[in-house]
Amino acid sequence: MARQGLASRLYAGEANIDIVGRRKMWFTIAAALVLISIGSFVIKQFELGIEFSGGTSFSVPAAAGGKTLTQDEVSNAVEKAVQQANPDASISTTQQVGEGKDASYTVRASALTTSEAEGAKASLVKDLGLDATKISDNQVSAAWGGQVTKQAVIGLIIFLVLVVAYLIIRFEVRMAVAALASLLFDLVMTAGVYSLVGFEVTPSTVIGFLTILGYSLYDVVVVFDKVQENTRGITAGSTRTYSEATNLAVNQTLMRSLNTGLVALLPVGGLLFIGAGLLGAGTLKDLGLVLFVGMGFGVLSSILFAAPVLSALKDREPKIKAHNARVLARRTNRSDDVAKGDRVRPVNAADSDVPAMAGSTTPRPGARPQARRNGNRPGTKR
Amino acid sequence: MHPGRQLGVLGLIFVVLYLLVFFAGGASGSFTNRLKPKLGLDLVGGTQATYIATQAGGAPTKEAMDQARQIIANRVNALGVSEAEVVVQGNNTIVVSLAGKADDQLKDLGNAANMRFRLLIGTTMDISASALNPASPAPSASASGAAPSANPSGSVAPSTGASAPSVVASPSTGGQGGGEAVPSATPSVAPSVAPSAAAPAATPTAAPAPVSASVQEQRAAVEKKIGAKLWAQADKLTAPVDLTTDPKAGLVYKPFNALTPAEVAVLSTNMQMYVPTISCDQLDKRPNGSIDKAEDQVVACYSGQAKVLMDQAKVVGDDISSASPQLDQQNGQWVVSLDFKSEGQKKWADLTRVAFNATSSDPCFTAVQALYGSADHCAVAVVLDKEILSAPQIQAVLTGSSQITGSFTVTTAKQLADQLKFGAIPVTFSAGPMQTVSATLGLQQLEAGLLAAAIGLALVALYAFFYYRLLGSVIILSLGLSALLTFGALVFLGRTMGYTLTLAGIAGFIVSLGIAADSFVIYFERLKDEIHEGRTARSAVPRAWHRARRTIISANTITIMCAVVLYIVSIGAVQGFAFAMGLSTVLDLLVVFLFRHPIMTMFANTKAFLSPRVSGLGRVLRRNSTEEPVSSRVKEA
Repeated sequence: MARQGLASRLYAGEANIDIVGRRKMWFTIAAALVLISIGSFVIKQFELGIEFSGGTSFSVPAAAGGKTLTQDEVSNAVEKAVQQANPDASISTTQQVGEGKDASYTVRASALTTSEAEGAKASLVKDLGLDATKISDNQVSAAWGGQVTKQAVIGLIIFLVLVVAYLIIRFEVRMAVAALASLLFDLVMTAGVYSLVGFEVTPSTVIGFLTILGYSLYDVVVVFDKVQENTRGITAGSTRTYSEATNLAVNQTLMRSLNTGLVALLPVGGLLFIGAGLLGAGTLKDLGLVLFVGMGFGVLSSILFAAPVLSALKDREPKIKAHNARVLARRTNRSDDVAKGDRVRPVNAADSDVPAMAGSTTPRPGARPQARRNGNRPGTKR
Repeated sequence: MHPGRQLGVLGLIFVVLYLLVFFAGGASGSFTNRLKPKLGLDLVGGTQATYIATQAGGAPTKEAMDQARQIIANRVNALGVSEAEVVVQGNNTIVVSLAGKADDQLKDLGNAANMRFRLLIGTTMDISASALNPASPAPSASASGAAPSANPSGSVAPSTGASAPSVVASPSTGGQGGGEAVPSATPSVAPSVAPSAAAPAATPTAAPAPVSASVQEQRAAVEKKIGAKLWAQADKLTAPVDLTTDPKAGLVYKPFNALTPAEVAVLSTNMQMYVPTISCDQLDKRPNGSIDKAEDQVVACYSGQAKVLMDQAKVVGDDISSASPQLDQQNGQWVVSLDFKSEGQKKWADLTRVAFNATSSDPCFTAVQALYGSADHCAVAVVLDKEILSAPQIQAVLTGSSQITGSFTVTTAKQLADQLKFGAIPVTFSAGPMQTVSATLGLQQLEAGLLAAAIGLALVALYAFFYYRLLGSVIILSLGLSALLTFGALVFLGRTMGYTLTLAGIAGFIVSLGIAADSFVIYFERLKDEIHEGRTARSAVPRAWHRARRTIISANTITIMCAVVLYIVSIGAVQGFAFAMGLSTVLDLLVVFLFRHPIMTMFANTKAFLSPRVSGLGRVLRRNSTEEPVSSRVKEA
């Protein structure tokens, strides 16, 4: 068989990359990342946007002293003023309220102390040349109430329960657990990135975060679907361990996973590019960012995390355990068929040990079973 | 199903949807106007209303304001998926912003709401009209507008077919929904009151609550206006003035009819009740919060026809845990089910015990008889602010779940349930000015969003053509179809259920582009596998479809599940987003089943299908044929 380039082997689903076999490595990396994220939650916490924490709102008349101010002028002036008062402050939205000569602009800025707000007002008066009595400032509550967050979290929990039930019916208990683990991993990682980098959390971020739920599972379902297909009736034969079959499935769906991931990330990338590049801030950037991070992790974890978790869980199942032992025993007995690098191991290998991949002897998908059968002793099959 | 037929179904869906867009759900204006989705506050601006809150005894507490903000937010969101913004500004102002012209919707939001449950202990007709114009049969303008009829019975009986509302213990029936209502009793009013009023002796008089100094002052002012002599006379009233024996008896009280509603509100309960010239109109227009004090006996009007004296409020809105409209399966009637919190259950049980066990000598019994013409048990009035929403008779000693029955329609049941559920705003509001507000983000952001969508679509298209060659065109066509369907649905839903499209929603749809394209990748990769295994195109397509379908349905089920759960459970912006996600996923599935599958089936029958240059599928094939002979060799085109 002529060796082809990796690209074309990927294309044909025959890259044979040993992913499941290196599961200890993946778990170590995942555990480290999760710990870092959780540490960051505790130490750095999150940058909450004005919509969550409340802020200060300034009201400036549009027409005063014979001149009319534009929305941009006012919003820039207020931004300058609040930043003079408090360098960390920022403004969120500017709105024109009312029409005609009674119109005024309302600008929302981060929460300021009374003295800071006074200072900002004073510089505004100077900057815009307005009468001090015309400008008013007010504390504004969070627009995104705690209730919204609470209900979203309740929704999240109900969804997780339902999804686990669905996956148990559609697949099996262990697959449901592995999928859930992978989903939680994605969520923790995304939140971790936000906490570590210090991106601001806005309502758009929360909404994007909830989008990841469905998407991350979507990827996992695609992979597990193939795993289920490959491992149907696996214990009847004795050519592959469960982990090898899983790895094969991951390889076969690798292109699919990368493709779906890429295709889904392309529009999000467009969103991020426009949002962050052209506009600099706002809803588009917030959404683009959280989705990009979340979906990226979703694709990676469905390949590198969900499948290894599944194989680790399955290898503990008595039936599969016995089957794996039988496959390995058979390989050690048939020295002519042992692949290079395949370590010989006693039958009662500890279950944390992962069988090494059988490399190129692993049958290709679609290949017919080998004709040579060696002492298929009756009684070994259940 | 035949491919042509599937395409036909899709076409039909398309035609129906766009017919709806152009001609249904209140479509009006030019063709381009009918194609405009309802855009959100952040994109096109809208209307802003401010409400200034007052709480008995001064400035409202922070907790009360937060609670009020929440209730107002719930009320706004009950109007539809409109993603309104509700914030507390300063110490006592709540600012509500809604997309578009929304003056009507904002008008009633701040309607204060202190929900009180009070035993009904006395009733008298609104006889102000006949008291003022004893000789003339025509009602005067100051009256409540009810023409006095010649019906001599003093009861406000519900019109034929309407059953008087009553409360029963709720049987365990399932059902759900939510809303608000006054039983549609159109009582006939008789100018006679003789036997219907509660015997004053039996009235359970609570010691009049101490009156604050400011009220004393206001009363003194009213007394000056009325005249001390008449005031003293009115103050002694403990029963309705009987106009049947002397039709002119009410005339002396004429000055009371000229009082402003605010002045009426400071009068003692007895005066408000028994001075014949005080009309329902005056009582209904008393300032918000006039009868909020739970420890007072108060007067209010029932359906604008009868003045009703009510006992202290033993149960208040805070005691309610939930309320919802339900369809009673047995008789097909709409009812409102009501549940109380644990501490409220005890209070409710005490109140209903009094009402249920009352005998015919009790004042509440006389009152309910007078109000409904006939009754077996006393009634408890559900009072929201100054309005009696419903005065159901109590049919049992109730603890937890209760049902209010009456002649409800689905709308009135939902209305009453909503009022019960959201009724307990702890402060009273006076509505401030209503103003238009500009967009927070504006059209620049909208254009940017659409540009992002175009870029996203172009990238997906490029990738699809690069990887799947001609099959990419199937992807692009499908995405275009999905987009058209989604757009039509958006326009129609914006008109019918108030779904507003915010920038977040637009972004949600952009993301769904990628997810829609996903199902193609799954399918085409399957197809590749099948061909790889040496099947002919014609047999590979249905097989690949069959296997990919399972995966696609599983994966999409999860997305839809996520959307449905979030839509039901969450509120505000999250709900709007969940709606967008669910909608686009369902429409994508529709396109997958009714467009892509039949198109691919047709495509598979063409010769070009397997050529590497056209579909990219042949690449696996050529390699395959060099490796091992495959039993079913595919002819190269």
